[in-house]
Formats: sequence, structure tokens, C-alpha cells
Amino acid sequence: MTGPTTTLKVGFAKQLRDIQVALPPGEPRPWDATDKLEIVGKPIPRIEAPAKVTGAAKYTHDIRLPGLLHAAILRSPHPCATLGALDLEAARRAPGVVAVLALAKPGDRLLFVGQDVAAVAASTPQQAQDALRQISATYKPEPFVIGTAAAMASDAPRVHTGKVEERSTEGDEPGSSGGATQKGNIRMTPSQKKGDVDKGLRMARVTHEATYTTQVHTHSALETHSIVVRWDDPKHMTVWCSTQGIFSVRDELAEVFELKAQDVHVITDFIGGGFGAKFGASAPGSRMGFVAGELARLARAPVALLLDRREEHLCTGNRPDSIQRVTLGASPAGELTAIKVVAHGSAGIGTGAGVGRNASGIYTKCQNIRVESHDVFTHAGPATAFRAPGHPQGAFALELALDELAVKLGKDPLDLRIAHNEHPVRRHQFELGREKFSWDKRRKQAVAQHNSGARLRHGVGVAASIWGDFGRGNAVTATCSVGRDGSIELRNGLQDIGGGITTVVAQVVAEVLHRPVSEVRVKIGDSELGSSVGSGGSNTTSSVTPAVRAAAEAVKTQLTALAVKQLGARSSADLRWDSKGVSAGKKSLGFAELCKYISGESITATGTRPETYGAYPTKFAGGNSYQIAGVQFAAIEVDTWTGLVRVQSVLALHDCGRVMNELTCRSQIQGGIILGTSYALTEQRVMDPVHGVMLNANLDAYKIAGARDVPDMEVVFTEVHTGANNTGAIGIGEPATIPTAAAIACALYNALGVPVRSLPLTPDRVLAALGVVPGHTG
Amino acid sequence: MSDSPRITRRSLFRGIGSVTVVAGCATPAKPEPQPAPGLAAATPPIDGVALGPGPAALRFTLNGATQTVEVAPSTTLLDLLRHQLNATGSKLVCDRGACGACTVLVGGVPRPSCMTLAHDVADAEVTTVEGLASAGKLSVLQQAFIDHDALQCGYCTSGMLMSCQALLARNGATDAAAVETAISGNLCRCGTYPNIVAAVLSAAKAGA
Repeated sequence: MTGPTTTLKVGFAKQLRDIQVALPPGEPRPWDATDKLEIVGKPIPRIEAPAKVTGAAKYTHDIRLPGLLHAAILRSPHPCATLGALDLEAARRAPGVVAVLALAKPGDRLLFVGQDVAAVAASTPQQAQDALRQISATYKPEPFVIGTAAAMASDAPRVHTGKVEERSTEGDEPGSSGGATQKGNIRMTPSQKKGDVDKGLRMARVTHEATYTTQVHTHSALETHSIVVRWDDPKHMTVWCSTQGIFSVRDELAEVFELKAQDVHVITDFIGGGFGAKFGASAPGSRMGFVAGELARLARAPVALLLDRREEHLCTGNRPDSIQRVTLGASPAGELTAIKVVAHGSAGIGTGAGVGRNASGIYTKCQNIRVESHDVFTHAGPATAFRAPGHPQGAFALELALDELAVKLGKDPLDLRIAHNEHPVRRHQFELGREKFSWDKRRKQAVAQHNSGARLRHGVGVAASIWGDFGRGNAVTATCSVGRDGSIELRNGLQDIGGGITTVVAQVVAEVLHRPVSEVRVKIGDSELGSSVGSGGSNTTSSVTPAVRAAAEAVKTQLTALAVKQLGARSSADLRWDSKGVSAGKKSLGFAELCKYISGESITATGTRPETYGAYPTKFAGGNSYQIAGVQFAAIEVDTWTGLVRVQSVLALHDCGRVMNELTCRSQIQGGIILGTSYALTEQRVMDPVHGVMLNANLDAYKIAGARDVPDMEVVFTEVHTGANNTGAIGIGEPATIPTAAAIACALYNALGVPVRSLPLTPDRVLAALGVVPGHTG
Repeated sequence: MSDSPRITRRSLFRGIGSVTVVAGCATPAKPEPQPAPGLAAATPPIDGVALGPGPAALRFTLNGATQTVEVAPSTTLLDLLRHQLNATGSKLVCDRGACGACTVLVGGVPRPSCMTLAHDVADAEVTTVEGLASAGKLSVLQQAFIDHDALQCGYCTSGMLMSCQALLARNGATDAAAVETAISGNLCRCGTYPNIVAAVLSAAKAGA
């Protein structure tokens, strides 16, 4: 059922137009390009920040309960082994131990270093660790395979003996999975197809074909996966969990322990980072929810299960690696006739090593496209969604290949991109960036510097982002109330993973009620505060804020009726609302005065978000949601003697629908760039192929970017009014990290004149590309 | 970590007692190296009374208040803070001094509390993130962190604040490079570094 149609002014920059949208009954008219908002969009500091800067914020690791026990998990030391005997008796008798739990049976095949074997709960963390050493487990090691290329060989040891079921979370890109067939360690998934790529390659006069590889990248959130379970009685539990999805935790535990969902109370006041790996009560490679819940049940005491840093690297997910064979074809005039990508990647024992939509969804003027992504099983912990699953690796291969083709064609790489991109916002971003970044001048300078044989060389590169507006309809119920004392509260069971949604929610309420943000109390982080979405797919703001606005508008409607009555106005049209309160003619009432007339304790209303009602101006490839555009330009310096690459600056032009808070939105984009820089230059999981173990499962040898590795960053918002929902919010978390590594790799190619086709862009690879040292495999 | 014995820092210390370890590491023939600044007050004399393996009395000052606790010599300062004193602002992240999330000030010097034994702060003054605000009023640095959005998830924030507070105390926040150096031992996964630099420079300007 839909209500009357409404005219909305949508678009971006000067390209605005009117569209007709049919709104569901009761839905507020969406904020569009005509709305001048006073609080939404402003750079308002985080309202929860005082708790974070004083140490008062309680994360799951900080939960202290009377009688709290500490759990630890014995993990398989072998990449592949059959469990022989498992004897927990000595551990059961160890000092402080209250409960023990077998997590594997003799005869079970264990498939990676770090897989669950057994667990204990003891009075102190140290006693739990000590008790693990009392467990007697014997293993019969079996042949294993670690490298992705090695696992593809027909005679490689088989990781799985049967068909593998796909595991998906709210962090996965919607619609990215599907039917698959399996052969050896290779699991083939349906390809993204358009036209006839073989014909396109036959038509081509200029072709480029090369292989690009990317590394395994671990999430490395600072707070490790953690859960605290307390049974309140045999049918009710209270859970504190470091999670991106409170309701995914609730539902998993309800299923595992056969409880009613509403009898599982989940609390996540604060979470120390997630980046895609924290959905559900468990980690992707460890049954943490079951372990904590079962130990707590056995011990009749609350149990905390907090992983350590090594476990975090081994069994809580990662971004899969990739080996991408890219073939591009073009006419002599530089028209792309074919884009073909055949990608293999390893999600360890799990699935989901695709390379995203970059190759199929951005340069769509090309009529013939085929992208095949295949999972290769290896004996390592399962991958999981990681900030824009698939896309950074896909962007790297495609964008660097495009630059190589551009050189063969004698064309400017930016011209080649603009010529084949059909998204008007992205085209606008490319053009804007070209000017702001002095692209043409710097490209020429790089060539001149290269020809001069200088030791330090500079280069610039550009790459594009693609993501969808995955804002969810009918998933969020927000409650707004205004008390007789003038207090304003907004309640919803969402979690703030650091993006700043707490503040944005307060801004929306404040905007609707014309009150300062400081007067809005936001209660979140609790499953009893109304249903909400998990923070994955860059959908939090676009799913939550429309429901919040609907709730606040419903309260406002009741306040309006009250004001009409108290001011003796003829209708609501005679009222004027401002930061002081409300007036009609010469009569006025302060907000607090008005609230005193509320009968009962408060006016309370709930709001929900209907399905997305527009996707202007461009749809996401393979779906009906709006396609989010973004472009990043990078400038690098490379020392040709040492091979060291430094990213000097990044210009990021992004569309995230309406910018809800300029301060936190900019921070999130900066964070995406820094993550991408780190992925481009230093991060990589290093596995020992002989022993099958991770060699750098820590934060000293696993190198994540520090303060001195950060480029100068300029963020440009190209705000788009899409008419997709009533606040106009879209998403930014994922789009912001997609193109960074690709742009850096292209800039390095510009500086060196030779491509480095493997991430990370380490000094040895740079020197090998220059022919100074021999290259290594991989 | 399962069928082969694993020696950890804690089990090693627990087994032989911390004083023995310190004594065993010293080379009597050579002159004693000068301790690093800030360590002098905190390090107990190596010819003192042997402690452990059980809990032993420890006295130190935490955020201005004297603490007298019984703690095992193998316990790190971070564990003492987080588990015995319920001061959970300092975070356990890497447990090997690589990330700075557990940074506290010992005698004004930033140190990783995960790599500091609790008994090494005997009689010293320890400041944690909980001690930065006074009488409920945020410090200039804390307010600058908020204003410049120098935090996202907040898990690195307490360690960042302590490293930056030490920098400000020695009037070292002269430029961006100085701040970046001061926090070069602190990792942030959300990517707040530039905002932290801006916050510290503005706090320095405000005379913090």
C-alpha cells in the first residue's frame, strides 16, 4: 500500500531534477535537495566521546561480574590432523578450574592451526591458561596445503572431503553468493557476465593480459573477539559481546541453546572495532558462543571468553588472498572491447574469496565483461567479510591492468576511465579530482623524473570505488519519547562500532524537534531497546536514521497537536518552531513549558523504515539499490635504491548520500584510506608452508600502519540526494577503503614505469620490478 | 600451545620468582648500565627481599591515591589495574608492548603496562586514563580529542592519551612530526592518527 506521490528534488552538484516518489502511508517526506537542515550534517563531536576519553566506557573486555570465570580454548597446533585421544581429567582437577569442555571428538579431522579442541573455565585467566597445558591431546598429522596456487594442483591434499556449505553474515555484500560446484580444492561460483567476452577479445586490436596477486589481510581490530555469558536462570541468559550485530548474537545463542530469542539479552555498550569479522556470538573459526554459554551452564557461574592476539589472527576471519588473471581488449582508438577476470582466492577452509564488482560494475561502457571468482580451499582459518569484501583486491588488479593497457594505447589512464564509466557522480568526481590534484601536470612530471633516472621518484594514480546502498527496510524499530519534564530520549538496539551513529541519531532527533543535540539522550547497545540492523554492508546510517526520524516526527505530530491547543492556533500551519520552542501569532511557549502540558509521563512513538524507494541516479550492478560512487587519487614517492614506497597524499572524493555529520564522516573516510594504505604497503599474513603455521600472529611482525605511515589526506564530499529514504543517508564505511590500494599501485607504476603486480608493495617487490634483485614467487 | 609445553613470560616468572630473574640477567663483572629516565624510581633494588611465587605486598600511587595490594610477582601492572583494581580504561590488545593500548605513565614516563611487572612500580606514581580528568572536569587534551574527533571505536584512545599527555608535559608537541613520533608506539585500527595530531597540537597551543 502506498500513499500519494511526492515530488523530490534529487541529484548532485548542479545536476538536480525532480522525481516522483510514492511514499508509504505515514512516511515523512524525505529530506531532499530543497531542505536546509540546521543540525544534521554539521560537524558535531561524538556525544559518547567523554566516556571514551576518561576510560569509563565499558567494552566486553571490561565487564566484571561477581564470580566471573575466565575461559580459554585449546587450539589445534596442526594444519591438518586427526584427533587421537583427548583427556581432560587433569585439567578438570587443575587449580581454579570449574568446568571443562571437549570441542572435538577422537577421530575428528582438524583442518587448521587454531581450530577448537577443548575449553576450560577457571577463576583467573592465568589458571585457565595453565589448565590448558594439563590437557592431554594426541594428534595424527595429515598432509596439508597452505599456498593458494599449491592447493589448486590436482594432486594437492584435499582440504574438505565433502561439499562445503557457505557461511554468510551481515557483513557480506548482499546477493554476492550463489550456487557453486566443487572440484578438488576449487569451488567454482557463477560468474558476473555481460555480452560475449571471447568475441570482445577477438575484436580487440590491443590487448593486455597479466596476473595480479593480493595477500591475506587480517582484521586486527584492537579489541579481540570476546563474549561474556551469564545464565540468569535455565531459560534466560544475559550476554555481553564485542559485536557488530547485537541481534545476530541473540539469534545464534537462542538457536544453539534452544532458547526463545527474547530470552537472550545482549548488551554491547562499546565495541573496540570489528571491520566485518564480528557478527554472531562466535568467531568465524571458533565456536565462542557455544563455548562461553556451555561453560557458564556447566559451572553455574558467568564466564568471560576473551581471545588473545594470536587467536585473533588465526581463527577470527581475514580478507582472502587472490590470484587474478586479467585480460583486457581495446580498439586502437582506446575503446574497451573486453574485460575478463579469472580470480582464484583462498578463504582458508571457508568460502567467499570473490573479488567484488569493480571489474563488472564500473567501466560499463565496455560491452563484454566476464568475472569469474573461485574459492580455493587451504588449511588455514576461514576468511570472513572484511570492510568491502572482495573489492579492494578486485580494484587493485583491474585498475593497475587498466593503467598498463592505457600505456599500450598511448592514452591517459584517467581519460580511459572517464570514457568507460557511466555513473554521472563518479564522472563528476574524476573531473573534479583531475583539477584539484593537478593530475595532468603531475603525470608529466613523473615521466620526466623517470627519464632523468632520479633516485627518488614520484607518481600519481587514480582508482574508483563501487558499493551499493544496502539500507534495509522493515528491520529497525526506533522509539522516541519526550517527557513531561522536557527530556528527550531515543532508544534502539543498535551498536556503534566507531562510525559515530550514536551522535548522528541524536542529530536527527534534534533536527526534528528543534532542540540542541545535548538535550537528546540516546540509548543503544541493548537487544531490549528495539530491533535494529547489524553494522555491515555500510548500512547502519541508511537503515537506522530513517526509522529514528519517523519516530521523532510521530512525537512531533503529537507535540504539534498539543501546541495548537495550548496556543489557541487554528491549525498546525500557524505554528512556528525554533530552538526556543513554538509560537503562533504573538503567543509563544518554550519547549519545556509545552512539555508540561503532556498528559501522563511522556509522549512516546515508534518509527520504522520502509523499503528503499529510489535509486537515483544509478543502480548498483546486479541489484535495485543505488550505486555509491567514489574516486581516490594517490601520490607516492619511491626510493629506487631501497625500494621503499611512501604514500604522500590521497585525495578522496566520495558520495555517501546526505552527509549526516561532517566530522565523523570525514573521520570514517580517513580511516578507510589509512586501512587501504596499510593493506597496500605492509600488511600480510605470513604462513610457513612447511609447518602450516602463521609466522606473524601478533602486532609487531604483522605490520599495520602507524601515525608516520599516514598520507596527507583531503576528503571531498560529493553529496548526492538519492530519494532513497527519508533522511537521504547512504553509506561510506566500505566505499572509502576500496580504491586506496589500487590508486597507490597505479601511482607506483607511474613513478617506476614498470608495474608491481603483487600486494603488498614491499621493497623487495619494487626492486625486483626494477630488475635490481631477482623476484620471488607469489 | 597444546601437546608441547609452552613457556610464557608469566609461567617463567611464576616458576622462579621475579627477583631471581632480574639477578640472573645481571652481569656482575660489567658496570651497571644506567637505568632509563623514569625507571630509576620504579625498579626495586635487585638485592632486595625475594618475592613470590605467591602474592606479596605492593604499595604505589595510582592517580594520586595510595594503593596497598597483595599481588603475585608474575602479575603485570596491566593485569593488576584491570583485574584487581577495576581500572579498565587501560586496554589489553597485543600483550607484548607492540601496540601501546595499555600505556600508562610511571613517574610521568609512558610505559606499556602489559610489559611492566606490578612490583616494578613499587613506591612509584602511576597515572592511567582514569586520572586525566580532575574533579569531573576533562583535561584540555581530553577535550581536544573530542573536538577533533581523535577517536572512533575508542579502544586505542586511553593509550594514545597517555603518550600524548607525556609529550605535552615535556613541552614536546612542537609540530606534527613530534606528535607522530610520540605516538609511533600506539596503533589505531580505525585510522584516527591525523585527528590525534591535530588534537595534541591544539592542546599544546592552549597551554595544556
